[in-house]
Amino acid sequence: MKIGKGWYALFTAPLMIVFMIVVVIPFIIGIGYSFFEWDGLAKHAATFVGFRNYGEVFKDQQFLNATVRTTIFTLITVVTVNLFGIIFALVVTTKLKVRNVARTMLFMPYLIGGLILGYIWKSVFQEFFLSIDWGNWLTDPVKSIVAMVVVTTWQLAGYVMIVYITGIMAIPADVLEAAQVDGASYMQTLFRVKFPMLMPSFTICLFLSLSNCFKIYDVNISLTGVGPNYQSEMFSLNIYNEIFSLSNFGYGQAKAIIFFLIIAIITLIQVSITKKREVAL
Amino acid sequence: MKKTGKVLAAVLIMAMVMSLMTGCGAGKKSGKITIFQSKTEIMTDLNQLAKDYTAETGVEVEVWETTGDNYYSDLKTGLSTQAGATLFSLQPGAESIEMADYLADLSGLSFVNKIGAGMADEINGKVVGIPYTVEGFGLVYNKNMVDAASIATTGDLINYLKTSEADNPLGLSQEDYFLIAHILNAPFAVQADPQGYLDAVLNGSERMADNDAFIEFAELMEAIRESCTNPVDITYDNNCGDFATGKTAMIHQGNWCTGMFADYNVDFDMSLAPVPVTGNKKISVSVPIAWYVNTDATEEEQKLAKDFLEWLYTSETGKTYMMDKFNFIPVVDGMKNNNLDPINQAVSEAVISGNTIPWVMSNWPAGIVTTDLAPITKEFFTTDMSGIELVDKLNDAFVAAAK
Repeated sequence: MKIGKGWYALFTAPLMIVFMIVVVIPFIIGIGYSFFEWDGLAKHAATFVGFRNYGEVFKDQQFLNATVRTTIFTLITVVTVNLFGIIFALVVTTKLKVRNVARTMLFMPYLIGGLILGYIWKSVFQEFFLSIDWGNWLTDPVKSIVAMVVVTTWQLAGYVMIVYITGIMAIPADVLEAAQVDGASYMQTLFRVKFPMLMPSFTICLFLSLSNCFKIYDVNISLTGVGPNYQSEMFSLNIYNEIFSLSNFGYGQAKAIIFFLIIAIITLIQVSITKKREVAL
Repeated sequence: MKKTGKVLAAVLIMAMVMSLMTGCGAGKKSGKITIFQSKTEIMTDLNQLAKDYTAETGVEVEVWETTGDNYYSDLKTGLSTQAGATLFSLQPGAESIEMADYLADLSGLSFVNKIGAGMADEINGKVVGIPYTVEGFGLVYNKNMVDAASIATTGDLINYLKTSEADNPLGLSQEDYFLIAHILNAPFAVQADPQGYLDAVLNGSERMADNDAFIEFAELMEAIRESCTNPVDITYDNNCGDFATGKTAMIHQGNWCTGMFADYNVDFDMSLAPVPVTGNKKISVSVPIAWYVNTDATEEEQKLAKDFLEWLYTSETGKTYMMDKFNFIPVVDGMKNNNLDPINQAVSEAVISGNTIPWVMSNWPAGIVTTDLAPITKEFFTTDMSGIELVDKLNDAFVAAAK
């Protein structure tokens, strides 16, 4: 039976309309704002400044530092999130008796919002660590980043675990059996059979964790804030403060566009690399 | 069959689009005002007051909720898109000047000439802001542990910090305003012409590090880092709690924190002392927020909002709410609050005797405390940066923000 185009339109229209209103149109308007100097009030005139905002972004040392910091944070966190995610997934897909309970518990941190997580962990890293003489981690330049890595990993590992579980369940039993018959050890099965079959899951999980970590905002603002000498400030928080605290709408918007381009380029590269390695049965 | 499908599709799409729109189009009834304000601690009582007002006058009052965080950016977004409240609050100073185009002239209200000197917010000769109350901050101290009479200069205070036997002689806390904004207000406010001095700092013609008050401030900050619990390690709640339980002898706080002391059985007397930079004897007192009427509201709505303010400040019910429920310090002649706690009492007395210095911090460039001053101060408290370096860095931040 041939399905009419009308039906496609019917089912996609609501989503398309919402997507246009809340994503595409504001994004295009935002590009326009980035060429103006404006404080965000409708009664105050905006001055056209051309590409000046973009030129200044590259001279803004605080923003460049935040860029480097966010990149380092992302590299570490993507590794830890996926490492823990895959380990959890391998553990809870064995014949372990508590596997269902374990899945639920590991997934639960993801259901708590990042803001709340940040505030909960703040008291751990600050009050609890001070009480056992480990010092305040949130005011130390290196440890505050480590703290953010820990919290983000704790939050996201359970989420990517779910994706890996689906991937592992989808591996045909006969392939694994064949490996067993051929006398492959556990490690050989894992690296030679399971991981290549899991490549589609890797693509998704790396993409999700990569873009999530670059965009980190809620954990940043609630756990560490800007920190001493801006040492814990990430991309998004820098942009937020520029726009909403200092009222530099045009300049902040220019930063946001550059931020978007960086994330888009990096994730596109990642997806195209991992896609190539996917094997089809 | 195919035709019916298309018609059906069109009808359904229409239905969905319509349902999306109804949420935004709630019609305005006549005789209704909306209030959006940032003083969250009076929210419950304000809702009750709105009901009482409706019962008395028939005018519907809708109070919009806020958690207080992001209030100012929410307000700006609302006003900018013509969806702002009729009556709203702002901090008089940098905020009200930025929003001046949206503020209606309130000079016509009957009680305007009874407002305490300099407390109404005037822009271009017109009264636009009606003060809620006054608030004051300084050194809140435990009378059993601190002899305030012996602290008259910065040197005395530093000497006290070094010799005090309390667990924590002077508590600041990690929140941006309690860490730096309030205490940095003192050296600005003791200048002969605070506003003129601030302008000179902002345009770069004066350096803070050349000024006696700021040199003393730098020494004081070094002494705090040396002798007190590191402020970046304490939260506001713990700081006030430690004071209430006698572990901390003195905190740099204001009258708003007394509400917390009610939760503890405080068994000592306390009072409020000035920060003694260059021998200062006055506490920092000002109007934290004021009421403003939206010029973009219709004539009728503006009239209703003004009537509401008139009622709030002159009717018996309104005054009772302001004094007994909100527990405000009176700012309009003819009001009196008989149940003030010691700290509020000290602020009230300072207002009456004129023993006050202004909140210069209200005129600092908007947003600067959170984005720059706090990160710099946190760096000071976690490294061995000198006090003068701190003052210099703060100075650079002021100049950069004013550009």
